[in-house]
Amino acid sequence: MAKYVCSICGFVYDEDVGIPESGIEPGTAWEDLPEDWTCPLCGAAKSDFEKQGEPAGPEEEEPVAAIDHPMDVQEMTFLEMSALCTNLARGCEKQYKPEESALFNELAEYFKKISPPAKDPSFDRLIALVDKDIEEGFPNAKAVATEVRDRGALRALTWSERVTRMLKSHLNRYKKEGDAMVENTDVHVCTICGFIYIGDKLPDVCPVCKVPNWKFEKIEGR
Amino acid sequence: MAEKYAVRNVRLCTKDCLCLYVCPTGATDTENSIIDVSKCIGCGDCADACPSGAISMVPFEYPPQQSKTETVISAMKSLLRSKSEQESIAAGLPGKLAKAIEKSNRIMAEDIIREAGFMLPQSQNTINFLKSLLDKDLEGLPRESVEKLIKALGQKKEEKPMEEDKTNVNLMKAFAGEAQANRKYIAYAQKAEQEGKLNAAKLFKAAADAETSHALMQFEVAGKIGSTADNLKDAIAGETYEYMEMYPEFVEEAKAAGNKAALRAFTFAMKAEEVHAKLYKEALESLDHTEEVFYYRCPVCGNIEKYIPEKCSICGVPGEKFIKY
Repeated sequence: MAKYVCSICGFVYDEDVGIPESGIEPGTAWEDLPEDWTCPLCGAAKSDFEKQGEPAGPEEEEPVAAIDHPMDVQEMTFLEMSALCTNLARGCEKQYKPEESALFNELAEYFKKISPPAKDPSFDRLIALVDKDIEEGFPNAKAVATEVRDRGALRALTWSERVTRMLKSHLNRYKKEGDAMVENTDVHVCTICGFIYIGDKLPDVCPVCKVPNWKFEKIEGR
Repeated sequence: MAEKYAVRNVRLCTKDCLCLYVCPTGATDTENSIIDVSKCIGCGDCADACPSGAISMVPFEYPPQQSKTETVISAMKSLLRSKSEQESIAAGLPGKLAKAIEKSNRIMAEDIIREAGFMLPQSQNTINFLKSLLDKDLEGLPRESVEKLIKALGQKKEEKPMEEDKTNVNLMKAFAGEAQANRKYIAYAQKAEQEGKLNAAKLFKAAADAETSHALMQFEVAGKIGSTADNLKDAIAGETYEYMEMYPEFVEEAKAAGNKAALRAFTFAMKAEEVHAKLYKEALESLDHTEEVFYYRCPVCGNIEKYIPEKCSICGVPGEKFIKY
């Protein structure tokens, strides 16, 4: 019988073994799992799984050749500067420099405040950007980073690509289910890689970056 | 200078307190659990001993960050733009999921820009970014905070307080050396006089006085001279340590070694230091009294009295030998 691997967190569903503790008997075929079955580790949809040994999906193919970037990225937007400052605040925190960390956070707040709000925000626009990241942004950046063997960049890209795929999965579900999807359940975000977990029982470690779950932040509100 | 210093992650600390046992300077023994950087000599003993892994050695200066190619920076910045846009869109949408998406994109944006040349807060990229902010016409920018960051992160090694500390250590080393040389030359001058070598005796005396002026200057520059009340307290502490801890040990060792001359020298000094400590205490308590007090010193053992005794209570020298102050 076959095995199926979660493309987000690497969980393996083995048809021979099943998941007896969740009532899935050994020998249960992949096709017989309900369509709304999700990865027990990270909550990814059934469609995010790949059959082990089969040729990988399109995103795992040969790296796409690096393309030039026509976009002018010289000037950062205010919100990008804000993210730069919160990143540097974290850097200072890691070096045990609380004063500098607080100053960077103050700058980050300032840039966030003066950043103009998005025009016509919508979930559809989010989906379009996520799709573009998965189809263009990540494959291109990974190709470039592989070419120059930039391990640090590849690490960041691996994490955020998985987080983005999970985001896509959530957004697609939200399109069908609406607010009911998160109504009676907790939503957590991993503060290290950004992975979003929907469900009441947090995994012990983040399925993407493997940090212990006390690094997750619960999202308050409705 | 130590290149690293120890820091404790208070969240990981399980109060095993092995750091207290192994730290040679007491830097880990603080009320708020934050290791005292000014005492830490960077030996790493505490980090090695800590069973909960709560102490790590942090470098004063980080190595330069990994260089990034233009192509990587450009690809990462393009992703950053997308993530930042998603953060902005999600911020304008209602609900818990949108809030989570906003947060998630911020965290990804941070990670992506970190790998686009902004890993180290001390890097030239960061300093340049901060400086560029001051050139921009940004209304409401907390300029003072930007300037503080440039100053704190762009600090050169020479400007660090640690360097001053090292100079202070050097001043005290020099003080100890000069003070010792002064006493040594006085001893040599006495010997030269006994031998009738008067010119050599003169030179030793002149040099001894010269070393005294060196020592005094160094001691003052090191900031060791306080108010008379403070100086009396310091003197009490020094004498007390000597008669309570240092000399008792020396006395025992001289006994064990059968060195009678050393035993005599240590015993005299130990007893005299006890008297000195007592007199310093009295002087501190009566610092504001104006009536004149006279002191009489035993030239043999160093005992000091406030009257002329029949004979020295420590070494037995007749009272007429005492020197008045």
